[in-house]
This record gives sequence, C-alpha cells and structure tokens, in this order.
Amino acid sequence: MNADETTDTDVRLEVYRFFAERGRPPVPAEVAENLGTVQSVVEASLRRLADDHVLVLAPGTPYIWMANPLSALPTPYKVEIAGRAWFGNCIWDALGVVAMFGGDGTVKTWCPDCGRRLHAEVADNHVVSGHGVVHFAVPAAQWWDDIGFN
Amino acid sequence: MLLFRSEEHVRNWYRRQGMSLGAILTLEQQWELARIWYADRMSPDWRRRTPEEAEAVFGGLGLTGDFWRLTPAPG
Repeated sequence: MNADETTDTDVRLEVYRFFAERGRPPVPAEVAENLGTVQSVVEASLRRLADDHVLVLAPGTPYIWMANPLSALPTPYKVEIAGRAWFGNCIWDALGVVAMFGGDGTVKTWCPDCGRRLHAEVADNHVVSGHGVVHFAVPAAQWWDDIGFN
Repeated sequence: MLLFRSEEHVRNWYRRQGMSLGAILTLEQQWELARIWYADRMSPDWRRRTPEEAEAVFGGLGLTGDFWRLTPAPG
C-alpha cells in the first residue's frame, strides 16, 4: 500500500467513525485534527476518495455530502437505531446503515406515490416487519452518472 | 432507489412523472443487497468491488440481465 492509499484508508475510517459517533460528517479540519495531519492532506484524500466513488463531496467544496450509505443532508430515509438517528441516501443506503451498524434498526419513510408512511424493521439481520417494494429507476451501469438523483 | 407501498404505486408514480419503469425488488431482496454491500464498510480491509464482483452479488440475489450489467455484454 503506498502513502496515498494509507492516508485514504485512515481518512475513510475517521470519516465513518466520526459520522457514526456524531450523526454528521466531519469537516476536513476535524479529520486533520483527529489524525494529527494537515487540512490540505485531508482535502486531497477526500478528493481521491470521491474520484473513486467511496464518498461524495458537495459540489465545488471539500465537504462531505454522502459517505455511503450515510447522508449529511436529511432525506426521506430516516434510520433509527437504539435511540439514535441517521439518514440514508435512498432505501438501499438506509438499510445499508442498519447493516453497517450491526443489523438491528428501523427505516422510516413515505410512499412517494401516496404519501403513506412506510417502515422496514430489521432485527438480528432479518426483516421482521414492514412491507413495500423497491424501485430502481436507472440501470446499474449508470448509477454514478447522477448519484444525487439515484 | 425508492420504497413504494406496492407495485401499483410504483406504476402510478412513474406514469405521473413521465418516466419508464426500471427494476423492482422485494423488501427482503433489498435488505440482502444492503447487508452484503454495506456490512463491512467500516472495516479497514474494505475495498470497492470490481464490476465483476458487483455483478456476482446481484446475480446471487436473482438480479440478472442488462439492467444489472456492469461489464461488457458477452459476444
């Protein structure tokens, strides 16, 4: 692993650790402080991670919009786990938040068509309540063409 | 990727948006895809899947065909 790859692993792990603990992504200065490095190194790493589709930066900024499956912005996909809450970028990512944090949690959303509340509850890595179907609008090969839409 | 109350609600919504339908998964399929895709995301050893590995994940859940293709079509 070269120096950039080592830095990128450290930055990625710190972004997720911070996001899990605080419910929001860190800004580059916070990552730099926690890793004992400088902001410019973190910003360069974040750009590489974004180029590799590991995370998504807010357009024109070094600030994290998505550290998939987590969203920095509120979305219609709220994830509740043990009294805490995060947002997923879509239903796939919201369930991904549950999976990433151990396989117990509830996703709350609304049907885009009728506005009725929907939920999916997962316990011990199994869906135990909830119903509905998931629609993928865009073929897999095009998911990253407009990741905000997806 | 959106969760709808039923397939009928999917069809209603996309008709109103003037968009064509894509692919529909059950909630259980979506959970399995999310679990396989994201459970190890906070691990130091995590790395992005290659297109071939991603297609294998999709195929394991019965998600096959052009919609799920990430590698060039054979032939």
